Order: sequence, then structure tokens, then C-alpha cells
Amino acid sequence: MENIQMLLKQGAVGKPCAPVVKVGDKVKKGTLIATPTGLGVNVHSSVYGEVVEILEDRIIIKPDDEQPEEYEKIAKGTNLEMIKEAGVIGQGGAGFPTFIKADAHLDHGYVLVNASECEPGLRHNIQQIEEDPAPLLRGIHYLMEIAGADKGIIAIKKKNRAAVEALDALLKDDPAIERHLLPDIYPMGEERAVVRECLGIELEPDKLPSAANAIVINSETVYSCVAAIEDQKPLIDKNITVRGMIEGGNEAHVFEKVPVGTSVGALIERAGGLDSRGYGEIIMGGAFTGKSTTLDAPITKATGAILVTRQFRDLHGAKVGILVCACGGNLERMQELVKKYNGTETHVCYCKQAAEMPNGTRKCERPGNCPGQVKNNLEFKKAGCEYIIIGNCSDCSNTVMASGPKMGLKVMHQTDLAMMAIGHALYRTLKVSKKVDQDLDVVDNVEDNETVE
Amino acid sequence: MSITAETAKQHANDPAVLCCRAEAGTELTPANFEDPAIFPDLVDSGLLNLDGALTIGQVLNGSKLTKTVDSLTPVTADIVDKFDAAEGAEEAPAAEEVAEAAPAVAAPVAAAPVAPVAGGVISLHIGEGKDINIQIPVGIGGGAVAAAPAAVAAAPVAAAPAAAEEEGEAVVVREMTRKHYKIDKVVLGDETKIEGTTLYIREAAATEGADAQKLVHSLTLDVITPDNYHTYTETVMDIQPIATKEDDYELGEGVTRVLDGVVMMVTGITEEGIQVGEFGSSEGYIDENMMWGRPGAVDKGEIIIRAHAVIDNKKNMERPGPIAIHTAVDHVTQEIRNAMKKQLTDEQVVDTQVMKQVRRPGKKKIVIVKEIMGQGAMHDNFLFPTEPVGVLGAKPNVDLGNVPVAANPLEVMDGCIHALTCIGPASKEMSRHYWREPLVYEAIHDDDVDLVGVIFVGSPQANTDKFYVSRRLGQMVESMNVDGAFVTTEGFGNNHVDFTSHIEQIGKRGVPVVGFSFCAVQGALVTGNKYCDAMIDNNKSMSGIENEVLACNTLCHEDAIRGLAMLKAKMAGETIKAPERKYTHAVKESNVELIEKAYGTKMELVENEQSLPMSEKRKAKYD
Repeated sequence: MENIQMLLKQGAVGKPCAPVVKVGDKVKKGTLIATPTGLGVNVHSSVYGEVVEILEDRIIIKPDDEQPEEYEKIAKGTNLEMIKEAGVIGQGGAGFPTFIKADAHLDHGYVLVNASECEPGLRHNIQQIEEDPAPLLRGIHYLMEIAGADKGIIAIKKKNRAAVEALDALLKDDPAIERHLLPDIYPMGEERAVVRECLGIELEPDKLPSAANAIVINSETVYSCVAAIEDQKPLIDKNITVRGMIEGGNEAHVFEKVPVGTSVGALIERAGGLDSRGYGEIIMGGAFTGKSTTLDAPITKATGAILVTRQFRDLHGAKVGILVCACGGNLERMQELVKKYNGTETHVCYCKQAAEMPNGTRKCERPGNCPGQVKNNLEFKKAGCEYIIIGNCSDCSNTVMASGPKMGLKVMHQTDLAMMAIGHALYRTLKVSKKVDQDLDVVDNVEDNETVE
Repeated sequence: MSITAETAKQHANDPAVLCCRAEAGTELTPANFEDPAIFPDLVDSGLLNLDGALTIGQVLNGSKLTKTVDSLTPVTADIVDKFDAAEGAEEAPAAEEVAEAAPAVAAPVAAAPVAPVAGGVISLHIGEGKDINIQIPVGIGGGAVAAAPAAVAAAPVAAAPAAAEEEGEAVVVREMTRKHYKIDKVVLGDETKIEGTTLYIREAAATEGADAQKLVHSLTLDVITPDNYHTYTETVMDIQPIATKEDDYELGEGVTRVLDGVVMMVTGITEEGIQVGEFGSSEGYIDENMMWGRPGAVDKGEIIIRAHAVIDNKKNMERPGPIAIHTAVDHVTQEIRNAMKKQLTDEQVVDTQVMKQVRRPGKKKIVIVKEIMGQGAMHDNFLFPTEPVGVLGAKPNVDLGNVPVAANPLEVMDGCIHALTCIGPASKEMSRHYWREPLVYEAIHDDDVDLVGVIFVGSPQANTDKFYVSRRLGQMVESMNVDGAFVTTEGFGNNHVDFTSHIEQIGKRGVPVVGFSFCAVQGALVTGNKYCDAMIDNNKSMSGIENEVLACNTLCHEDAIRGLAMLKAKMAGETIKAPERKYTHAVKESNVELIEKAYGTKMELVENEQSLPMSEKRKAKYD
């Protein structure tokens, strides 16, 4: 078994933790190895083994050959204390500490569970619900109590029929919780999109869900809270989807309870190994919001997926325009892709709704609802671009396509190579409705896209 | 792009077109509509057919879509459940009102001494009791994206130049004297000296200049007299006045001595014959490629000292190459300056010019922002040398991070910019351009405004750097507390990104801005924002292009005068009418006409390349 690398900063937000072990220490599963120095949570060893190296950003543990199931339990306390002690962070994206989010003091508010699994091709969240929906409901009740909510809503895409049916069977006896069906478009999992879909409240980009008297929490995170509260278990393992250019086919490989700190390469090997025909890049996270990574990089508590993409084609230095929005990669990520395609970055536009936040990141003003894109296309055209690369949501991509190709711009989407690798439709035109009927049995109108001549 | 309620109101009578896909049952709101400002581009490119489209005003009253339709679909009667009746188009197009425009804007601007022509204002006379005169300058904006709000019929703004403000006496902040010395013969020889009106230059100075620069293989001098203007030359990298400071005066103060009748011309190629230039080159016969009389160019009749450098291969597009050439040439010029200091006497002065920086308390405070190139290679400028247009003592703006740097008007006209810049020949501002900067000149001589100073801001290569300097500029202008600003640029394309960003940074702070650029056909703005609604187009070329004729499309007095008129109108709160979509000379011409009427003066416009003998290159490539 390879060495495990526990990063001192597990989420995208917060400060690195400080190690509380030293080289040579024996650790068990669940042994506390690092504690926060600012915004952050406890880090526990995910294996039995020995600390062999402590670097500036990580603790390296050589695992023992024997890895028993048992783990060192966290101390008992209030539910909130146990979530904190267990080092639970959000597993849907940025990895914000859950004990801070949950301690919301809402006024008869809402716990909104994000089970949209919105990044295309991912499976692990929905599979977890299909297999065992009951803890999710118990977890929502714990969180409602902690956050001061009297209602829970599970937001889930309508296409996940098996999971919805599994939930419905339990929900008929639980009046405090309901489910809200989402259409299969990107993005539905952005937290303000979840608030809008479930509660009908459109939040400004700089507002948190608490402004709508709600918290939004990813479904896998709820399970981790349940494990912390009921089993005194720290967050040391998680579920991961591995998919793409993998030997044996492009179906999703869902690995459950993968120790945090496992390398990307080990997971790919477990799935079958890299496709011998070659690949483009490896993405840690989803195709929209993930980042390129390397085989030796470790997964963190916030990692959801490893995607291996198709090979880049060579644009031979063609002029490429970059359309940056808040739904996909930031400018740096898009520039990286242009380089990998061997294009020449020629012009950059920002989606009108990609509002810049004080920390330099961007958030969409109205996630999933396009503000129009033709003006950007005109700019790209004037700048002489042959290609444009976009990272937009389903709706905006559709708008880009309404004028781009007619102007002679060749449109590429940031996610193309990942979508080809997993056998998913490319993000181009939108044929499905942004509204779905909440009755699981009503078939929605998915093909009414006729353009009036 | 989707529009706001306010924009929807302005465009109530324009066609309603969906900006994005919208599903059946959607109640239409302004957020559903594309901005009509860009329709003409879309119609032109065949992306949009507006036949049968209802207007925005007709479908904002609770109309719902009966069908799911895609982006750029015009809203027609068959896809909405209801719509309002069309209003009779009562509003006379602003253009007509404007055309009747009357006269006299009080306080006519002093006619520009040297130059010619100008353009830019439409005056609208609303005769109501007391006279109210309103100027509506017309933007010229190169078919740009720049969203210029459609002309809103001007609301009667404050009566013209009412003497409401407290006006103090004009204050002379500083003075400088230029002493002119006539040269009518230049001889290359063994010694650098001035005897009478003959300038002798030691030829070996050029060799020494080259020897001191590792990258310069050779530097040769020759003298081109007016009877020899039909001489072939490699691309012109710079035209420089030959001037020096008296005593220990710094730029912009004391006394400057300048030679009349002669200029320094820098040219360069690499060993394998590549022109040291980018985006076109002015190589060819001088008489076919020199736009005589432009502020930055040679005046017809002047003697040209040509300093021609050959540098290492591949160094033409790297910073050290052009820097080495300019430094080598300056070695020669400095020797002439030294001779001027020692040998010229006051008896030889043929003309004395006292230049004053005047502040006019109580008048509208304005600032001139000049964007200069700073992308590297020859896109660079030496700022604030010790001698006028010198090299020593100066700092390249690239090394300064291209951040905004303040200068006073006299420093500008005393050669504080040594330009290496080399974008397209027709729009580049050479060192001599700053020495005779028309906008600075017109602004300090305009009794209606109080010029606070000039800011130079470099144009970096990377977009992130562009926005960095732009934000600094905005903050600097905010702290100056001005009533209006000019932003000028040379070249086009890449630098328009920061040019428009500068305008935005200043504009969003509530300061009216007028921009100057070559745009026309080839240089149409690639970006824009709502503050780019008042633009002066420096184009003079017949076809609206970068025609590689040196300085053809640079800022001239006629442009400065139009710009001043436009800024004054904008500062008075008037709306600038949007330009026609496709570039046409007519806009400038009608602006000129309106200014002539308003000021009661005649503007003579400068000539363009059509006045020059046709070159083979121009014939083949352009005209």
C-alpha cells in the first residue's frame, strides 16, 4: 500500500492546520494528527501506520499492512461539538467547515440538502442515497435542530428516479422533510441555485443562503455528520467517482470509503488504469469546477471525483478567445486549457453575470439563467478569434451557440474532453426545459426548442 | 446582453429580440431582451432579421411567450399572447432637431492658430424665453461596439456658459522660453559645430554611438535635403526635434534652444534586413510615405538628418534592440546639443516663444490622459530625460510598470517623452508629436477650461496588467477632482483594451470623458463600455485604414478642437449622439460644420495621403 498524504489544508477555503504528531509516531485510523490554526477543522489519520515525514503542507503516513475496520472514536458531546470534533467539511466543493455552517441560528428556517450531483458524470452521491437513504433523513433532523430550522428539503435531479423513489418511500412518514425535483441542467448545485429552486428566492451573488433563512449542505456531508454523531467517527474516508479514459470502459467507478490522502494514481489503478490509448489531462473534481491534477496528488475530504479526459487536439497556434464565467473555470484554468490545446490566447470576455467578489473569485448573478452572449461573440470576432473556449452553464452555452457558429467562431467548451471521455453530450445547445413537474411520473417537455423563422 | 428596465425604456420603440432561450409561458421582462444597440451588427452579419418584430414597449405589459424560442429570436405577434398597439412615432429623430441647430455658443473658442480644422458638435437651439443654447457633439466611434446611448433629445440643461461660477484671474503657473535657431545647411564632417546657419556633424560620432551598443552593428548618418525627398528609406522609427536646455534648467522650465529647419530621423533594420517595426512599416520613398506637417512628422522644407542603424538579427522585436538604436543615435544628438549650448548666441535667435502654463480658476477643470505604448520591444517610451527628447536621465515606462505618471503641459512640449513606440506608422506618435502635442496646446490656450495637467499611462501587454494600471489611473483622476478628462491613444487593437478601460475607470467616477483614437474602418474598437460614448476619431486616411503613411492618422489640431467642443458639451450635461454604425467621414464633416457655425470660424482640415505621390506599396495594398 502506498504512503498516505494528509494535506494540512483539506478544503479550498481556510488556513492550513498545524501537525500535532511527529515523525515516528504510530497512528491509528481516527488519530488526531493536525488541528486548525484559523478557519479549518481537525485532520485525522485515515489509516493505521507510522508518520514518516512532515512537510510544509502535508503529513505523510506509511500504512501498516493490517488495516482493521475499527477507528479511534471522537469524544462524545453535543451534536454540533461532535461535527466539529470529527473535522467534517463540505464535500460538495470548497470544503467549508460544517460546524460553522450548521451553527446558523435560523428563524424557523430551512435545511436544504444539495443532492443535485450537478457535475456531469458523477455518481457517488446518488449511489449513496440509493443504497441507504435513511441516514440522510436522520442527518437532516440533526442539522435542523442545530441550525434552528423546522423544514428540510432535499434537492435532487428528477432523472435520478431510483434515488427519488427510495427517498419518497421514507418521506411519506416524515412531514418535516420534502424533496424538490431539479431539471437536468448545469448548474443546479450552486448553493444559490438550490435556494432559488427550493424556496423561490433569488439571492445576490454576495449573499449567503442564511439571507434566505436557510443553509445548503451537500448530501454526502450530511452522512458524515450522522457518522460523527451516531458512530463518533471522524471524517477519514469518503466516496469518489473515477471516470473517463480508463482501461475497460468509461462507466463511472464509484469507490466507497476511500481513505483521505489516497493518491489519484492509486484510484485510477483501482479503476483499471489509464487508458492505453492515451489521455488529455486528469481533473480532480468535476469537469466544470475541478482543476487539473497529477497522479501523485492526494485526495482530500472535499474531493468528489477523478476524471481522465480525452487527448487535446492541436490547434497549431490558432487564435482563441476565452469566455470566462462563474460556472466554469476561472481565467487561469481557461488559459491553461488554451495552452494545452496549443492555441494563442487572443481575447478575453467575461459573462455579464460573472460578478467579481472581493476575494477575486466570481459568482454568477443568476445561475443557470443566461444574460445574453452575442455581444461577447462580436468582440471575439472583431479580435480575430477562430476558436472560442467557454465554461458556461447549459443556458449560456446555448446562447453562445445561437450566434457563435453563424459568425464563424468555432466553439469549444471547457468540459468537452471530459464529456467525450465519459460519453456525455457536449455542452452546446439546450433542449430540455429549465422547469420540471414535481410529480415524478409526469414526463416533462424536453423537446420544444423550435426556433421561429 | 440582457438589458435593464431603464435601457428598455430608452429603447421602447426598438425591436424586441430575445437575448436568450426562453420557454413558453415566460412573462417578458427587460432581462429577456437583447440590447438594441448591437442589432445593426447582427443584421449586417445575417444573424438577425427584424421583419415583423414588435417593439420592446409593446411587449412589456405582461405579454407572455406562447412558444419556447431560442436566443436572438425577434418577438413577433405569433409568439406572444398579447401586445400593446404601436405608438405613433411621435418623437422626431434627434438628428433632425439637431440639424436645425443654431448658432452661437457663447464664448467662442479661440481659433487654433496653426491648424486646421476641427469638428465635433451639434448645436441645438431651444428658443424659449431666454435663449438656451445646447451643444450636442456627435461621437465618432469607428463602428465600434462601444455602446453609445441613442440620442435622447436633450433636455434643456443649464443655460450656456452662465457666469455662475466664481471666476478668478488666470494664473500663470510657470513659463518657459523656446529660442529658435535657423539651420539651412547640414554638412557631415570631422567636427560637430554650428557656424551661422550651417550645422556640421562629426560623422565618427555615429560610429562611436554604435560601438557603445553591443547590439548595434552600424550607425550611419546622411542628410536628406528637400530636393532629395524622393529618397528610399527603411522604416522610420522616430522623428525628433534637436533641442537642448540652457544652463541647468530642467524640462518644462527656463530656456530651451531648438534648431529650426532640421530634424533627426531614426531608421533601423536587422542584419538580414527585417524592419525594426511592427504592424506595418513606412519604408519606401520619403515623399510617398511621409505625411508632411503632422505634429509628429517632418514639415515640408525641413532638412532630415537620417541616422540609420543595423542591429543583430532577431533583436528587432526585443526590448534591447530598439533601446540600443535610440541610445546610439542620442550619442550623435547629444554632441549637437553640446555644440548648441556652447556656440549659439542670442544674436542668432530667429524667433522666441514664451510658453505659459496657465490655470483658470473657476473654469471647468480638465485633465489629459495620454496612453503610450508599453508592451515591450519598441513599444516603449523614455520618460523625463535630462535633455528634450534625450535618453540620459530618462526611465522607460515599461520599467516603471506602465503606471500613470503626471506631467505638466510644458514638460510635455519640452520633450519629456522620447518615443520608441512603433505601432502602425500611420497612427504612431513620434517624439516630435509630444513636442508639438496639439491637444495639450489647444487645451492650455482654451479660455473655457482649466487644464490641470497631463497623465501618461503605459499600455502593458497582459490584460491583467492593463486593468491594473487602469484602476490606478482611475484613482489618480478621482483625486484630481476634475470636471472632465481626455483619454488619447496611439495605435489600435491590443491597446484599445486598456484605452476603453481607462475611459470606464474615469467615467464611472462621474467624470465626463472624451476619447481620441484612430478607429475608422480598420481600428474599430474591439471592446467598449457605456462610458465610451464620446469619441474623436483621428483618422484622416481616405479609406479609414492604417495605410503605413507616417503619422497620417495621428491627433491633429482639428481633432483637438473637436474634442474640446465635445468635452465641454458633455461637461454641460448634454447627450452625445451615437455615431452611425459604419464609419463615414460625414460624421466628422458635420461636426466640423457645426463647430464652424457655432464659433463663426472656418476650419481648414489637414490633407491626407491622397496629397502625396502614389507609392507602389500603397497602390498594391491599400488604395
